[in-house]
Amino acid sequence: MASNTAAASPAEEVKTGFLRMSISKLILYIILGIVAVVQILPLIWLFLFSLKDNQEVFNLPPLALPSDPQWGNYARVWTEGNIGLYFFNSVIVTGTSVILTVLLASLVTFAITRMNWKLNKLVLGLFMVGLMIPVHSTLIPLFSFFSSVGLMDHHLSIILTYTAFNLPLTMMILLGFYYTLPRELEEAAVMDGCSIHRMFFRIILPITAPVVATTAIINMIYNWNEFVFVNTFISSDSLKTLTVGIQNFIGQYSTDWGAIGATLVISMLPILLAFLILSNRIVEGMTSGSVKG
Amino acid sequence: MNQIMSDKRVIALYTLPALLLISVLIYVPLVLTGYYGLMDWDGIGSMTFIGLENYAALITDGMFWSSAYHSLLLALFSVGSLVLYLAVSVVLAGNIKGADLFRKIFLIPMLLSSVAIAQLWMRIYHPTNGVMNRFLASIGIENPPLWLSDTSIVLFAIFIPIIWQYAGFYIIIYYAALKNIPKELVEAARIDGASPLQIAYKIKLPLISGVIKVTIVLAVIGSLKYFDLIYVMTDGGPNGASEVMASYMYKLAFRTNDFGYGSAVGFFLLVLILIVTYLIRKATTSKDDSIQY
Amino acid sequence: MKKKSFISLAALSTAAVFTLAACGGNDSEEASAGAGNNDNGEAAQEDVTIDFMHLWPQGSSPDHHRIVEDIISDFEEMHPHVTVELEVLENEQYKNKLQVVSSSNQLPDVGMTWPAGFLEPYVNGELFAPLDDVLEEDNMRDDFVAGTLEAYSVDEQAYAMPLELNIAPVFYNEAIFEENGVEVPETYDEFLEVIDTLADNGVTPIALGNRDRWTGSLWYMYLADRIGGSDALNSAIDRSGSFEDERLEEAASRIQEMVDHDAFISGFNGLSDQEAKAEFMNSNAAMYLIGSWDLPNYTTNEEIPQEFRDNIDFFKFPEVDGGEGNIDNWVGGPGVGLFVAENSDVKDESKAFVKHFTEEWGKRSVEDAGVIPGTQVNTDEVDLPDLFIDVLDDLNNASDITLFADVQMSSSVAETHLNMIQSLFGEEITPEEFVERHEEALEEDE
Repeated sequence: MASNTAAASPAEEVKTGFLRMSISKLILYIILGIVAVVQILPLIWLFLFSLKDNQEVFNLPPLALPSDPQWGNYARVWTEGNIGLYFFNSVIVTGTSVILTVLLASLVTFAITRMNWKLNKLVLGLFMVGLMIPVHSTLIPLFSFFSSVGLMDHHLSIILTYTAFNLPLTMMILLGFYYTLPRELEEAAVMDGCSIHRMFFRIILPITAPVVATTAIINMIYNWNEFVFVNTFISSDSLKTLTVGIQNFIGQYSTDWGAIGATLVISMLPILLAFLILSNRIVEGMTSGSVKG
Repeated sequence: MNQIMSDKRVIALYTLPALLLISVLIYVPLVLTGYYGLMDWDGIGSMTFIGLENYAALITDGMFWSSAYHSLLLALFSVGSLVLYLAVSVVLAGNIKGADLFRKIFLIPMLLSSVAIAQLWMRIYHPTNGVMNRFLASIGIENPPLWLSDTSIVLFAIFIPIIWQYAGFYIIIYYAALKNIPKELVEAARIDGASPLQIAYKIKLPLISGVIKVTIVLAVIGSLKYFDLIYVMTDGGPNGASEVMASYMYKLAFRTNDFGYGSAVGFFLLVLILIVTYLIRKATTSKDDSIQY
Repeated sequence: MKKKSFISLAALSTAAVFTLAACGGNDSEEASAGAGNNDNGEAAQEDVTIDFMHLWPQGSSPDHHRIVEDIISDFEEMHPHVTVELEVLENEQYKNKLQVVSSSNQLPDVGMTWPAGFLEPYVNGELFAPLDDVLEEDNMRDDFVAGTLEAYSVDEQAYAMPLELNIAPVFYNEAIFEENGVEVPETYDEFLEVIDTLADNGVTPIALGNRDRWTGSLWYMYLADRIGGSDALNSAIDRSGSFEDERLEEAASRIQEMVDHDAFISGFNGLSDQEAKAEFMNSNAAMYLIGSWDLPNYTTNEEIPQEFRDNIDFFKFPEVDGGEGNIDNWVGGPGVGLFVAENSDVKDESKAFVKHFTEEWGKRSVEDAGVIPGTQVNTDEVDLPDLFIDVLDDLNNASDITLFADVQMSSSVAETHLNMIQSLFGEEITPEEFVERHEEALEEDE
C-alpha cells in the first residue's frame, strides 16, 4: 500500500497519507452504505410481499407497492389459528433450548479446553461428529425413540432435539474463544481460593459473554425457524410453534402467499427484537484489566 | 491448581449430561442410518438384510456422483466466500463511525427463514419478471439467462442465495472473535506505526486463526449436508442439475420409498464429511499448534 | 345453496352405521386382551378417540376445513362415545409424517392417502385396512365413479375411499384468443397453428411450471394418449407392453416440436406450477393445462377479478391426425382418499367414520368447496357455475381416464419419468433416449 510513497518527503507522506485515508474512508462508507441498503431491501420486500394478493405477488416487481394493500392478510393470520398460543410455544421451546444449549456447550467446552484429562480430544471428536449427520436421516430413529420413551407430542422432544443438534455447532464456535483465554485467569482464581464451579460461573461465563451472545443469536434463529422436527414429533395443535402458521396457508394445490408473508413478518418481529438486544452483548472482549477474578 | 483443574468428578459433571444427550439423539440415529443402509426397506413395511448391495449400487449411480460433485463444489464456494465475510468483519470491527449500526443491518437477512429467502430469490431469478432479468433487459441484453432452468448455470445461480443466506452467520462469528482481541495489542501496533491493513493482516488475523479454522470446517460440513434452498427453489432440477447429496438422499428416502438406499447415501455423506474434515485438520494444523478441533 | 341431491346417496341408512358402531371395541383382539372391559358390560360404549390426519389447513382451504368440521361434529353427535382428534399438515409435511409414523407402525386411525403408486407400499406393509366390508354395506361401492375405487385397490381389495376426482382440461383465455384471431383447435396441427400465431404476436401461448415436473408429464401423457390411445402408455407401465413403443416415442418428439415452436413460457423448467399459473391468471399466457381442482379460480373464487374469470373456458386436448386416441379420453384420476389404519384399536369406529365422511363429503364438496368427489354427482341437480357443469358432464361422458403417470407408476419409476420429462422439455435428451430410459427404469422395477 505504501510502496509508491517511499520517495516522498516525510511531510508530504503524512499529508497524502491523510488525504488517502479520507478518500479511502469515503469509498469504504459508500460501499458499506450500498451493502447496507441491499441487506435491508429483503425486509422491505417481505413487508410489501405480505400486503399483496396472490396475483400481485407474482406479477409485480418485488419492490413495487401493492395497488390495494391487503391488510386483511394480517387480520387473517391473527384470527385464524392460535397465533398467540403458537407464539407462546415458540418462546418456550426456543428459549429453553437456547439456554440449555449454550450452558451445556459452555460447560463441555470449558472441561475440554481448560481442564486436564486424557480423553478430552476423543470426547471433543465425539461431539464434532454430531455436526455431520444429515437431519433427514434422524427423523425415523428419533421418532421411534421418542415414542418409546413417551415423549412424543411433548415439548421436551423438540427441546432436547434442538439442544443435541446445536450443541456441536455451539461448541465449535466457543472453542476458538476458550483457547484464547489466558491461563493466568484460572491461576488467579485458584489463588483466591475460588471453587471450580464458582470460577466457571463467575469468571469464565461473564468473560465469554460476547461469544455466548453470538451463539445464543445463532441458536435462537435456527430454533425459531425450524419446522421439520416440530411437525414430526408434535401432533397436538396446542403444542405447535409459529412455523405451523406458515403451513396453515399452504394448500393442496395452491398457496396463499400474502398470508404467508404476513405470518413471516409477524414471526420475525420478536426475533428481530431479541437479536438487537443480544447483539449489543457482542462488545469489546476482555482486556487484561478484566483479569481480576 | 493442577489438582483442581483435573478433578475427575467435575469433568464428569460438566461433560456427561451433554454427552448422554448426543449419544442418544445423535449417535443412535447415526448407527441406525448405517444399519438401514444395509437393508432393503421402503421405510414403511418390513425390511430385508441385503448386506452391502446399496453401497454397491451407489458406485454406479450417476445421479449420486453428480450430486456429490455439486455438494463438493458448494463447499469450495462456501470456503471461498469466507474471505469476503472476513474482510467485511474486519471493517465492521474496526474503529469506524457507525460500525455498530452497519453490523446490525448487515446481519438482518440471517433472521429470515429459508421459506422467505427462497421466495425472495425466486422473484429475483424469475425468467421474465425477475429483478435480474428486468435489469439485464433494461441495459439491452436480449436473451438474458434463464437462471433456474438452464442446466449449465442453475447450480451457480442457486449457490449465490445460499452463500448470501449464511453471510450473517459467519460475519457474526468473525466479529465476535475480532472484538475479543485485547485492545492493548492493537494499540501497541498502532503506536509502532502499523497501518490498519497491516494491523489486520499481521496482528488480528493470526490471533483469530483458530476461529477461522473452525469456520472453514463449519462451512465445509454445512455445505456438504446443505438442503433447504435447493429443495424449495429447484427441487434439485432440472433433471438433477442442481441436486446435492442431502436433497438426493431426501428424495430417495421420502419420495421414492427407498429408505434403505437413501440411508446408504446418508451414511456415505457422513463418512465423506469425516474424511474431508480430517483432511482440513491435517492441512491447517501445524505441529506446535495448541488449538485442536 | 343446499339443494343437494346426488345419485344414490340421498338416503343414508343411519341404522347401519349405528349397528357397526355398536360393535366398536368388541373386536376379538380387544375382548381377549382386556377382559376387565367386560366387567361393566358396556364395553361398546366406552369413550374412544379417532385420530384423524388430513392436509386441508384452515388458512389455505377454509371451505374444505369447514366441511370437515361439520362432518366430524355430525359424526360425534351420532356417536356420543367417539371423539375425533385432528392433526392438519400441509401436503409435503403430511407425506413425510405419514412415512415416519409408518416406520414405527403408528399411523393415525384415519388419514389421507393418494392412489396407486403411493398407496402400494402401505398396503404391502399391511398398514392399511381393507375396506371391502364397508363398501358392501348399502352397496356403497356403486356410489363411486367407475374406476376410482380401483385406483386405491391392490389385488381387488380397496384400501381407501376416494374423496377427489380430477381430469385435466386445457384452460384458455378467450379474450386473448379473440384478440389474436385464433379459435379452439380440434387437431394437433390446428393446435400448432394457434401456438405459432400467438407466439408470432408476442403472446406466450402456454403457461407451464415444469419445475414441478408432473405438469410437463400431463402434456406428454395427452400426446401419448392421442397418438397411441390409452393402451400404449398403460400397457408400457403395467408391463404387458414396452415403453420402447413407436407411439410413445412419437409423443416425445411432438413435445420437442412444441418446444421448438415456442409453445411454452420462457424458463418453464425453472418455474414452479404456481409461478406459471400466475402468468395465466395475469393474462400473460393464453393457455394452461391443469387439473379440474383449479376450477374455482375460474368460477367462484371472489379474490380473482370477475372479468378474468368470465374470460376463461376450456377445451379437450386436440386429436392427433392418424392417432388412435379418442378426444373424450382424459388424463386425470382420483386425488386423496381416506384410509383406516390396520392396527387401529378403534377400527370399527374408524370405518364407520370413513364411510360417513365419504358420503357426506360427496354431498357437499362440489358445491361448497369446488372439489369433485369420488362419488357420483348428478349435474342436473347441483347449483354450480356452467364451467363446472361442463367439466362434470365431460367427466361423466369420458371414454376413459388415464391415471396421472407419476401416480400410476411406482415411486421410483415415477422419479425417473419426472426427471426425463424435464430433460425432454429441456431438449437435453432425444425422444429415443426418453423411451429407453423409461424402459430401463420399468424393467429394473419389476
